[in-house]
Amino acid sequence: MKNNKQRQAAVFFSAALLFLAMVTAAGVLCREAALETDFSRKNLAPCREYWFGTDCMGRDMFARTLAGLSMSIRIGLCTAGVSACLALLLGVAAAVMGKAADRVISFLIDTIMGIPHLLLLILISYALGKGFLGVAAGVALTHWPSLTRVIRGEVLQLKNSEFYQISRKLGWGRGQAAARHMLPHLVPQFTVGLILMFPHAILHESSITFLGFGLSAKQPAIGVILSESMRYLITGQWWLALFPGIMLVITVLLFDRAGNALRGLLEPMENREGVYG
Amino acid sequence: MGRKRIFSWGLALAVLAAGALSACGGQESGSGGQTQPGKQDNSSQAQAAVQESGSDAQAQAAVQESGSDAQAQSGEQDNSQLAAAASVVVTMPATSEPAAGFDPVYGWGAGEHMHEPLIQSTLTVTTEDLEIGLDLAKDYQVSQDGLVWTVDIRDDVQFTDGEPLTAEDVAFTYNLCAQNSTVSDFTMLKEAVAVDGDTVEFHMNRPYSIWPYTMAVVGIVPEHAYSEDYGQNPIGSGRYVMKQWDRGQQVIFEANPDYYGEEPQIKGLTVLFMDEDAALAAAMAGQVDVAHTAASYAGQTIAGYHLFQAASVDNRGVNLPAKPATEQDGLIVGNDVTCDAAVRRAINMGIDRQEMIDHVLDGYGTPAYSVCDKMPWYNPASQVEYDPDGAAAILDEAGWKMGSDGIREKDGIRAAFTVLYSPDDSVRQALAEDFANQCRQLGLEVSTEAAGWDVAYDKAQSQPLMWGWGAHTPMELYNIYHTAEGQENARYSPYENTAVDQYMDQALQAADLEESYELWQKAQWDGTTGITQEGDIPWVWLCNVDHLYYVRDGLEIAPQKIHPHGHGWSIVNNVDRWQWTS
Repeated sequence: MKNNKQRQAAVFFSAALLFLAMVTAAGVLCREAALETDFSRKNLAPCREYWFGTDCMGRDMFARTLAGLSMSIRIGLCTAGVSACLALLLGVAAAVMGKAADRVISFLIDTIMGIPHLLLLILISYALGKGFLGVAAGVALTHWPSLTRVIRGEVLQLKNSEFYQISRKLGWGRGQAAARHMLPHLVPQFTVGLILMFPHAILHESSITFLGFGLSAKQPAIGVILSESMRYLITGQWWLALFPGIMLVITVLLFDRAGNALRGLLEPMENREGVYG
Repeated sequence: MGRKRIFSWGLALAVLAAGALSACGGQESGSGGQTQPGKQDNSSQAQAAVQESGSDAQAQAAVQESGSDAQAQSGEQDNSQLAAAASVVVTMPATSEPAAGFDPVYGWGAGEHMHEPLIQSTLTVTTEDLEIGLDLAKDYQVSQDGLVWTVDIRDDVQFTDGEPLTAEDVAFTYNLCAQNSTVSDFTMLKEAVAVDGDTVEFHMNRPYSIWPYTMAVVGIVPEHAYSEDYGQNPIGSGRYVMKQWDRGQQVIFEANPDYYGEEPQIKGLTVLFMDEDAALAAAMAGQVDVAHTAASYAGQTIAGYHLFQAASVDNRGVNLPAKPATEQDGLIVGNDVTCDAAVRRAINMGIDRQEMIDHVLDGYGTPAYSVCDKMPWYNPASQVEYDPDGAAAILDEAGWKMGSDGIREKDGIRAAFTVLYSPDDSVRQALAEDFANQCRQLGLEVSTEAAGWDVAYDKAQSQPLMWGWGAHTPMELYNIYHTAEGQENARYSPYENTAVDQYMDQALQAADLEESYELWQKAQWDGTTGITQEGDIPWVWLCNVDHLYYVRDGLEIAPQKIHPHGHGWSIVNNVDRWQWTS
């Protein structure tokens, strides 16, 4: 029974990952098609040839949506990666490097968490001149605090564990003991935290692009697509917003579920109580 | 990370996808309820509409609520009420709201988007065929050397506070403009002097034959009632009095009962500032009489409204830097592809303007061949026939050989460049894309790039940019094509031609307007050189964008002058002569 649940989670996780990888790859491949304008096919409702319809410049919305999602996922990957590494470094540093470091890092966490996320993001993105760099830096620099806090707590706990204390008493250095006895325990937290950061990163990227502080209007980004579509909803062109919006929701949900499935796989205590308990 | 969280994300996105965010138009909500005090004498439907649209987040909400009932009603019932009240509600883009208030010294009526100032009167006016007529001026003369303009003004004109308008007020206004104006060029004016009560003299630094066109945009302000907050509380002698201004929302005008000219037929004018989609929604809800709109919305049919199309000289075109690329003070000036006149000529000839108008503007536009089509100073020699084969022949002849990938090359230089467009302007973006597509047919590799106005002027020194121009003064030709003072090139795009400069200098020194028109035309093409197809063609003009409005049935808009650049105040230039016929 438990095994079955686990297998389900594993299958779901792989399927989600495969789907997202396919979207990412497809988006890269149809980037050219997403930029191509052809005024002889403008404002077409969804049909067999153009699944998601076309916009006022005759761009294929299916290609645009894929390219936009792909762009969002790639930005999400890159920023969540940076953010998670930052969280790992700071979290461990806060726990291991003594009281002063802990105080400074905790202060940083509180400060950044105290400022509304989107506001800080817009500020950073705008200061860096918007565009890819602005968005990437903005998202990367605003998403680390919560994971840092989790990792810091975990490390503090591990520091007091017997095996760590004993290894230290046996004469192991701080670094060696941390690498050997702490990191393996942090991997699940870190991985799950990383994956659960994707949906945030993707949504925030789309949001600030939607608000006009992110990627340039030329890019086929989901935020750009959605903000453009707002102008034409009143003329009844529902497909411009609906399909890209749904695809964004699906992507974000898939990442979220994949993260939860992975958590189920990696946290043995909760899921395997039948074996251990 | 519970289910709730996922659900809330999903919900938030579904809302996003469903487009509820489109309600954030440009108007602030909240203060709409305060619009009534001081306006109770006029309880027309128009006012009610104003109040509604001010207090609703946006008109969309009203559209959703009212559905088809309101549309059916609006056609008949409202019409009769409005006709009785003889007032109109007109929407304009949020950008039309004058940032510095209704002060002619700080740009009201003048500048990039010129129009009649309504609240104030001007010395002259532009007529329907854009020649010069008289308003405050009874007569004007210019001295032989072109350095002194003497204007006789009417002595029967009063400001709305009861004080008479004198030559002193005129001189005061112009001297103030010369000192302070940031949007108009007054460097040619040395001083304005009131000679007596009804004569004013303009002493010029240099001859300026088209001074009557400047006199047509400067509204006269009262010297006795001018202060720093004049823009908020303007007093003038024009056809209308500003009654109320809710910044970010609306302006309400009332007819001036003591106006010296013909009595305005429309007694009340309310201008609402909103975006095109909100204006469309407001029209659908029957809340406005005239709603500005764009080609992409013009396919909608709204019961009780018809589409009104105003021809314009609101043109779109691209600059083609006419000099090879060099670096000057860290800025690249010139372009190695477009510096070849053959490339510029081929583009001018090889662009199918009508296709562009049909595709991008849904037919609501006319081909543009110059920055001043249909103006008295336009030279018809600017017109060029679409001839893709001829364009290809020009490129072949000039040595631009077609490569295997369909892109031409000459001496190792690939025929490639980028066209820039303003990121918030979907029409310019579409024009840039269509332009790029058409250039590809000619074997030119053109890509497009969004560039905000903070960087666009600098970038346009080396890359073509999708511009919009069009004004009721020939000075625009000068600003675009004349070598800038103290520089090697014209201001907006690298180009110089001394013959063209000379004609324009002569035009400014001409004895009268007729003579100057001829010289402006020669600056465009004199038979051997100029800025047209056979000449240097440093700018390629693509189309004039018609200004479109949804107008309530029964409202008759008076014949319009050709609208200049800017889809705002021009429509109400002659609102005093509009009529409700039913």
